Amino acid sequence: MRCVSHLATCVSWLIVCAAVATAGCSPPTSTAPGVQVDLTVAPSPPVVGDADVTLTLKDANGSPLADAVVSLEGNMNHAGMKPSFAELHEGEPGRYAGKLEFTMGGDWFILVTAKTSDGQIVERKIDVPGVQAE
Amino acid sequence: MTTTVEPLPRETSVPGQTGSAAFDVLRVPLLGRFLRWRWSRVTLQVPVLLLSLVMIGHAFWGPQLAPKNLAALLTWVHFRGLVVLAILVGGNLFCMACPFMLPRELARRWINPRWEWPRGLRNKWLSIGLFVFVLFAYELFDLWGDPWWTGVLIVVYFAAAVVVDSLFRRASFCKYVCPVGQFNFLSSTMAPLELAVRDHGICVGCHTKDCIRGRRPLATGSEGTPDSARLPVLQRGCELALFQPRKVGNLDCTFCFDCVYACPHDNVGILTRLPGDELSQGGTRSGIGRISRRFDFTALATVFTFGALLNAFAMISPVYAVEQWVAEITGLRVEWPILAGLFSLALILEPTILLGAAAAVTRGLAGAPASVLQIINHFARSLVPLGFGIWLAHYGFHFFTGFLTVVPVAQNAALRSFGSPILGDPQWHFGGLPEAIVFPIELGFLMLGLVGSWIVSWSLAGELAPERTGSAFTPWAVLHALLFGVAVWIMTQPMDMRGTMLGG
Repeated sequence: MRCVSHLATCVSWLIVCAAVATAGCSPPTSTAPGVQVDLTVAPSPPVVGDADVTLTLKDANGSPLADAVVSLEGNMNHAGMKPSFAELHEGEPGRYAGKLEFTMGGDWFILVTAKTSDGQIVERKIDVPGVQAE
Repeated sequence: MTTTVEPLPRETSVPGQTGSAAFDVLRVPLLGRFLRWRWSRVTLQVPVLLLSLVMIGHAFWGPQLAPKNLAALLTWVHFRGLVVLAILVGGNLFCMACPFMLPRELARRWINPRWEWPRGLRNKWLSIGLFVFVLFAYELFDLWGDPWWTGVLIVVYFAAAVVVDSLFRRASFCKYVCPVGQFNFLSSTMAPLELAVRDHGICVGCHTKDCIRGRRPLATGSEGTPDSARLPVLQRGCELALFQPRKVGNLDCTFCFDCVYACPHDNVGILTRLPGDELSQGGTRSGIGRISRRFDFTALATVFTFGALLNAFAMISPVYAVEQWVAEITGLRVEWPILAGLFSLALILEPTILLGAAAAVTRGLAGAPASVLQIINHFARSLVPLGFGIWLAHYGFHFFTGFLTVVPVAQNAALRSFGSPILGDPQWHFGGLPEAIVFPIELGFLMLGLVGSWIVSWSLAGELAPERTGSAFTPWAVLHALLFGVAVWIMTQPMDMRGTMLGG
């Protein structure tokens, strides 16, 4: 009986610890809400394989945000798949382009991370539904 | 649930009849000693419970992105894959280490269940309904991509196990409610290990039957007397009403080891056997009865097999074309009625036609003196090996192609939780085996399932029509080949997981 009580106590503590560990200590991230992020994928609708990705960054006034460092992470909406990564390169001011590989058909989302020249971190999640298998 | 301990049949009184030539895992040094230890099951359950708590925490408070969430990843990729692979190489190890049972055991320290499970529900119908409901909810709510709802599902499972087994005696939840349990019971008919009596001769001489009654302290001189029956149980017997000397195979066995712990003669072992052999065995089974007379088992085997096809079909592009077509001709713009129609087609109409046709042809060809329904009940078991092969191929695909993704997801969870990379920086390039390697493995699982179904149906055909075995076998062999062909076609299609069906 004592063993069971100890086990119950341990389980209770573990629930608290799990909640704290998975929630309480997450570092805050700035997502720069005023920044406009537009992403286009070609071909459209996207298909499995390399896609041409173009991203435009504008500040709250609509002015292009140049000299940012932009990276993408593509994930399927279900677990168990390796993500795809891409670094985008600036062509004209505020306009960044690159290639991202869709490895499987289905619903994807792209996590955009951009570090602007003034040090702001811009993070967005953009859904890319219905990538066609063939 | 009532348990009657009947005298052993004459043929089981032969010493050493069962398992004399079988390998016994409980005889393995160290491992066997550990498994026979009274707390071995709890020792296995605790780590799984702790993992479940982490998953629940991450489901509700972690990132709501399935590929980065431990609850979604471990539930839909690792748990499902490991369950079927463990059954393939061992036995029903998930039920053995079931985390849902630990809170239930704790609750039973304070709550003494008063009621017997209702007589009208002592069958598989409720669990079949829940099994179909989980499959349906999985598709409708895209559970694979939703950590929060995955967490809800896990919590509801814990709560249901505690509530049901706090109200009702014995292992009512496992035997009559748990859909995962039913999946594992059927799958483990294909397992190479079972808990079985080592020497039936010892059972013939046993008067206490502790393996089913449980062990109580001595009262008025001998165990098992009316006085001792009122005393608290020191070690319970099988809560699923499986009396070891009459137990056949793994159906309804949770590998809980209560019979091992209870047997005063150390006469229960984990014995090797021929996978699937129990499916071709007739006769009455302890705690189950005659499978061939239980239509609920027929329905369970049918849903298990056709559900495997449906669950895999829902992962590929053609399902969206079908749903879109249905939406266009019906004008429906919501998913659930279309999905309900597909489920009805796949789990009721299609099996009814196919099994009915196979049974009718069997009746005609073999001249079997049985009704179509009786023939269906007789042969439904033969679907199980193929169904298991399809689940293996499907879940194996996800597991093999993504088993290493748990590493970066766990690293990321630690990084986000503690603010430092205590498990290292996330290695997002970790994945699994390439699809080109996994596909032949999938095919192998499917072929094993087909061969298993053919062997079982040949045996069942011989039992039904000894003089015309080939004629009775042929329709079912064709049915299995047809289902195998569909499964192979599904597995050759590129995967296409979408959360939005209409216009997605």
